[in-house]
Amino acid sequence: MKLSNSPVPVNLDTIANNLADPVFLVDRNKSVVWLNQKAGELFNTDSKSAEGKIVTELTGITKLDNLLEDVFEQEAELKCSYEEASVKVKRMDQRYFFKIAINPVFHEGELWGGLVQFTDVTRFHEMEKIKTDFVSIVSHEFRTPLTTIIVGVEMLKEGMLGDLTPRGKEVLEAIGADCERLSRLIDNLMELSRIESGTIYIEAEPTDVSDLVQEAVRPLKFQAEKQGVELITDLPPNLPPVAADFNKAVWVLTNLVGNALRYTDPEGTISVRVRQRGKRLFFSVEDTGCGIPKDQQEKIFRKYIQVSGEGRKGSGGVGLGLAIAKDIVMAHGGEIWVDSEVGKGTTFTFTFPVYQGEGSVTLPEIEQEGG
Amino acid sequence: MSKKVLLAEDERNVILGVRTCLDAVGYQIEIVEDGEEALNSIRKEHPDLILLDLLMPKVDGFEVLKEVKGNNDTKNIPVIVLTAKAEEEDRQRAMDLGADSYMTKPFKPQELWDLLKHYLPEME
Repeated sequence: MKLSNSPVPVNLDTIANNLADPVFLVDRNKSVVWLNQKAGELFNTDSKSAEGKIVTELTGITKLDNLLEDVFEQEAELKCSYEEASVKVKRMDQRYFFKIAINPVFHEGELWGGLVQFTDVTRFHEMEKIKTDFVSIVSHEFRTPLTTIIVGVEMLKEGMLGDLTPRGKEVLEAIGADCERLSRLIDNLMELSRIESGTIYIEAEPTDVSDLVQEAVRPLKFQAEKQGVELITDLPPNLPPVAADFNKAVWVLTNLVGNALRYTDPEGTISVRVRQRGKRLFFSVEDTGCGIPKDQQEKIFRKYIQVSGEGRKGSGGVGLGLAIAKDIVMAHGGEIWVDSEVGKGTTFTFTFPVYQGEGSVTLPEIEQEGG
Repeated sequence: MSKKVLLAEDERNVILGVRTCLDAVGYQIEIVEDGEEALNSIRKEHPDLILLDLLMPKVDGFEVLKEVKGNNDTKNIPVIVLTAKAEEEDRQRAMDLGADSYMTKPFKPQELWDLLKHYLPEME
């Protein structure tokens, strides 16, 4: 099509080569059939040299193998977690983040190949980092004054700073309870800001499972001992590394074990187990606690929901822990669910992917030839 | 003889809070408001336990931790980090440097007492 007044032919060539994003057309064997100008620039290649090469080797992005396989198998567009579809690319000391989209291409009703598109989300990641830093500073600033308040209130409540009237005690109890709420909110502020903005930013690295479990369980050992609850870990040897954001993965486990502690009586047991099944690692936290009624089980992963057990003290939280845990697990491409029976106990299980290979790639230096 | 606790903390109100907690259970307390003072005090006389804030002027808590735990004379003194820094990286860094425990602010007096009892068991 050529508009009579336009000096430039309005055709696919023009459009494709002026796209802001790198695009590759590959066949069923993942060989490059065509690439646009941006793709050539980013990966330091061109149509002539790229044609016929396997796109995974050409770009150095090993996860393309799995992603393309998924699309070809499903004969549908790529559907996976944000993290699975993301790749970090380093080029000349600059860090870029791309999100990969792949659409299957059909010819005469048959699957012929795929269109691989990279979307530059670097700015988005930067914004997230700025916001995260800001939230981190703010929540830190809240903690110090809250300390003075909580310590003071506790001492007053216990009568350690003079006698109290019953009304005085009541008022202090109320202050104490609300301070606890503030404290939990601050703890969750970071994650809350992410859930609210509908994004979660994780950087998955190959992570040793036993390190992860140790780190999650360590801060709770003392508490478990105090409560008379047995806390055991059950990890078979030789588990492969998991593709996870270490801090966030630890957070999920710690949160689940912490919950278990809240709802398990003395003489009870909490077991943390990890098993591998194919490309996924199954983490489970099983307790012999009071259990969760069936009608509450689907609700607990929602925001601001808390299960009230019989005569259980409220955790003083706002019911975000499991919502955040679910968010983190899903951002890793995993799933989380609960099995529970009132009076018997509860098991929370979540999956993380086994680390498959480099999630990031460093591009070769681009030689500048006269601009 | 009552146990001597060194508190390294630069916020006045937190000092008041912690001192009140410790007075209530009969510990002797010495207070310093920056890392340099902390190291001076430790060199002069070994405390039985150190409560260490991380963000302090002159020399920060991480530096103090490194010095205390890196020195044969002092590495066995229990160090409890008491801080508003709640990020995993901070905790990890402190534990890697040899901190015995890591408590984030805000905390309840009972939590502090439990930890102190754990590391200084001879107190009644």
